[in-house]
Amino acid sequence: MPQRLSIAESREVRMAWLFAAPALLAIALVAAFPVLWTFWESLHRHDLRLPWLGRPFIGLSNYREALADTRAWSAIAHTLFFTATTVSAELVLGLALALGLNRPLRVQGALRAAALLPWAIPTVVAALIWRFMFESPDGSSWFADPLAAWVPIILADVWKMMPFVALLLLAGLQNIDNSMYEAAALDGAGPVRQFAFITLPLLRPAIAAAVVFRSLDAFRVFDVIYVMTGGGPGTATEPISLYAFTALFRELRFGFGSALAMMVFFVSFLLALAWIRLLATQESVT
Amino acid sequence: MRRWLPDFAVWLLIGAGLFPLYWVVIASLGPESRLFEGRSIIPTAVVFDHYRALFEERDFWIPIRNSLIVASTTTLLAVTAGALCAYALARLRFRGKTTILAAVLAISMFPQVAIVSPLFLVLRAAGLINTYPGLILPYLTFAMPLSIWLLVGFFRQLPAGIEEAGLIDGASRIRTFWEIVVPLSWPGVTATAILTFLYSWNEFLFALSFTLEPERYTVPVAIALFRGQYQVAWGQILAAAIVATIPVALLVLIAQRRIVGGLTAGAVKG
Amino acid sequence: MSRAQFGLCKRAGCVALVLAGGIASGCGGASDGRPVLTFSGSAVGREAEILERQFDRFEIAHPPWRVELRSTPDSADERRQLYVQWLNARAERPDVLQLDVIWTAEFAAAGWIRTLDDFAPTVVDFFQGSIEADRWRGSLYALPWFVDVGMLYWRTDLMPEAPATFQALMQRADDVMQEQGLPFGFVWQGARYEGVVTVFLEHLGGFGGQILDETGQVAVDSEEAVRALTYMRDAIWIHNVVPPAALTWQEEQSRFAFQNGQAVFMRNWPYAHALMQDSRDSRVANTFDVSLMPAVTGGSPTAALGGSHLAINAHSAHADAAFELIAFLTAADQMLERAQVAGQFPSRRSLYDTPELTEALGLSARAARQIIERARPRPVTPIYSELSDILQIRLHRALSQQQEPREALVEAASAMRSALTRAGLDGGTRR
Repeated sequence: MPQRLSIAESREVRMAWLFAAPALLAIALVAAFPVLWTFWESLHRHDLRLPWLGRPFIGLSNYREALADTRAWSAIAHTLFFTATTVSAELVLGLALALGLNRPLRVQGALRAAALLPWAIPTVVAALIWRFMFESPDGSSWFADPLAAWVPIILADVWKMMPFVALLLLAGLQNIDNSMYEAAALDGAGPVRQFAFITLPLLRPAIAAAVVFRSLDAFRVFDVIYVMTGGGPGTATEPISLYAFTALFRELRFGFGSALAMMVFFVSFLLALAWIRLLATQESVT
Repeated sequence: MRRWLPDFAVWLLIGAGLFPLYWVVIASLGPESRLFEGRSIIPTAVVFDHYRALFEERDFWIPIRNSLIVASTTTLLAVTAGALCAYALARLRFRGKTTILAAVLAISMFPQVAIVSPLFLVLRAAGLINTYPGLILPYLTFAMPLSIWLLVGFFRQLPAGIEEAGLIDGASRIRTFWEIVVPLSWPGVTATAILTFLYSWNEFLFALSFTLEPERYTVPVAIALFRGQYQVAWGQILAAAIVATIPVALLVLIAQRRIVGGLTAGAVKG
Repeated sequence: MSRAQFGLCKRAGCVALVLAGGIASGCGGASDGRPVLTFSGSAVGREAEILERQFDRFEIAHPPWRVELRSTPDSADERRQLYVQWLNARAERPDVLQLDVIWTAEFAAAGWIRTLDDFAPTVVDFFQGSIEADRWRGSLYALPWFVDVGMLYWRTDLMPEAPATFQALMQRADDVMQEQGLPFGFVWQGARYEGVVTVFLEHLGGFGGQILDETGQVAVDSEEAVRALTYMRDAIWIHNVVPPAALTWQEEQSRFAFQNGQAVFMRNWPYAHALMQDSRDSRVANTFDVSLMPAVTGGSPTAALGGSHLAINAHSAHADAAFELIAFLTAADQMLERAQVAGQFPSRRSLYDTPELTEALGLSARAARQIIERARPRPVTPIYSELSDILQIRLHRALSQQQEPREALVEAASAMRSALTRAGLDGGTRR
């Protein structure tokens, strides 16, 4: 049974809404509303190059077309592959770096800054740097091979995002009480057992956070692949975001492109929900 | 034996992280002919040709100006409105808080490609394509939720009861916010501002979709769309890459602790 | 005010200053008050030089106008993407656009370029194939500026004459590569863009196939097409005559390979001819010539008909002046000058009877005219770029061995037919 608020409390509520209003309004306008529009658009045929066809309502036809489209499925497969490889690599390397940094070091700050530098660089720049590193003047080319082209792409992403994961894990590591390690050492447990039975279990929330967070980002990948290969050779490295963008802004098929974009949105939304759930359980634990 | 393993891992990983940057700096300072042939780790000659061409022939200061304006304005708007909103969500009591916070969080994870087309249609109808507001407004899509999310984390860490002190003295809530809370959470506000600026500076997809002319390109778009002779102008691209990296590198070096604090406070609670 | 608040105000003040400065420098029209016509087009190699020259003459003849060149990427596909972006966003500039021949129908149908009918230009002197590509639903939307045809470039110092069949080409390339130690036998544009379609079109015609048959139906899944694509693929991976890197090359990269003496044969457009005759940069000056692309029995030597056309932005604020510029640039004098400086073939038939053109081009105008009149256009349809995209992807997959040629072409044909149906154009190309 909701209680009636006191005058002071209701004034607080009004104040709260006043404070929150500008930001929430902006968000509703530039983010929430457009998503609804994209969804509405995905239910129409809307080809900006064929204005004589108009903008008829076609229900879920675009989605049916997308689900029957091998290029869409390939794009999703590419995206999942990219997500799996980059997140795993970032996790492993990030954990190694975090473990290495989890000691009292005089140059801790400088090391963290140096480690963080690749993360701060614009993704476009990172992509170009790695493109340059893999460019060779002779006939052979990494970027002409559908599998080999993934190597520089994945390297660029791992290079850029690994420090972020490392710092997340480092924060988690620093929350682990040292006394636990001391106790284990007294019991005769070596560093490997300590790692397996103390570090990893206690680090699970941070690892889960890193995995979900990075997966969400990796699933939406666009910049690095656009700049490095444009999705090529052929469409061998094309992720779903790039396919949606191509359909929208190159082919100007706003209806179909919106359906593809909504597909990216749905998956991201599910991952975001998982993320929020994770945070909520963490909060209830602490 | 085990003692040197952590050291080794750290130096290896950080070294591997910095090496490509070093390589690019060397390449950008070397003559055109050395870009692909005769590459060496130790630079033999230092020439500023590429940098000079970058600013004289390509007017690279134009995208820099555009990025500065867009990123600064976005940061200002997002942090100001975001701080107010975050304060309400973190410190004031009202119903629906958790839902709103969850919604804000979810919105920050919207894939840009899912909203770029309606934004385009609206901006076009409003005549805002290829203008500064035409970038700043879309940038709020990620800047606002990011600011709110980070600041909620910081505001929550403030000791409870500091507002009471102000309220007892008869000050209004707004003054309490402005004169007590903000100065106390200054580290958090600056961390948020820096991160927001970073994300805005690095943003690519919206800038690619909503600008048309080199006069309005931001730095990432300008670099990605470098035109010229077919043999890709790597010297200038690399020089541009270094120039684009310098501001964010400075930010990271100066404010590393704040940035890390911001990221971890936001991402891993508890 | 507390120190923190002062800090905040200072920051806000700084930002405001930057903003004001930025906005101030962002605004502003023509620096000297003269109205500006913006021209957008290709400025590769000598083209920039000749454009500036001709713009200067135009400005003198048409005060107070000033003409500004807005640069675009070298790659035609990227230029098209930029145009689509500008025109779809209803930008006022550029006023005049240089279009690839395959874009006119698309831009006209989408309402992005203005009809030229009210200016009533005379068009009898232009090549038939070119002017037909500029019509949509009976109206004229662009004027042909110069004509491009795909040609075989061959080394005169390494063989007595150009090969007439594909087998002979392969054999000769292989022999010369071994004898002379050249790294590349035959270079062409194999990156995933429009260029690979034109190269395929020429191989296709040489094997006796077509993209659209006489009734306008899709025919890329024919036996001839499979043979042509298989030949192209095998040339890379089995006979090692075409380098794998060609799958990332566009026009300029293949030109550099041939120009540096690394290739026995090259397929490219006429623009390369003038550039490679310049002995300052070219190692093959005076040791190469052009001829028709080869064919097999049952096919005919095919040149893809390309070329550039000039059109007016539908949202341009200066349509009349824009047409003046187009008329000027497509006048015989300007075309002849362009042939001389940039080596591009004029689109006016009458010029091919003049000795000046032969001299300007450095090759026989009569021979060039023959190639042009036998050149094969690509389908004139508003959805050509979509059809091309479908084809490009499959061609590139087959060439990079991700898919068998037959499978790739059957898929391509099916997707192309659906695209035509979806656009309501499946009665063949609708005019």
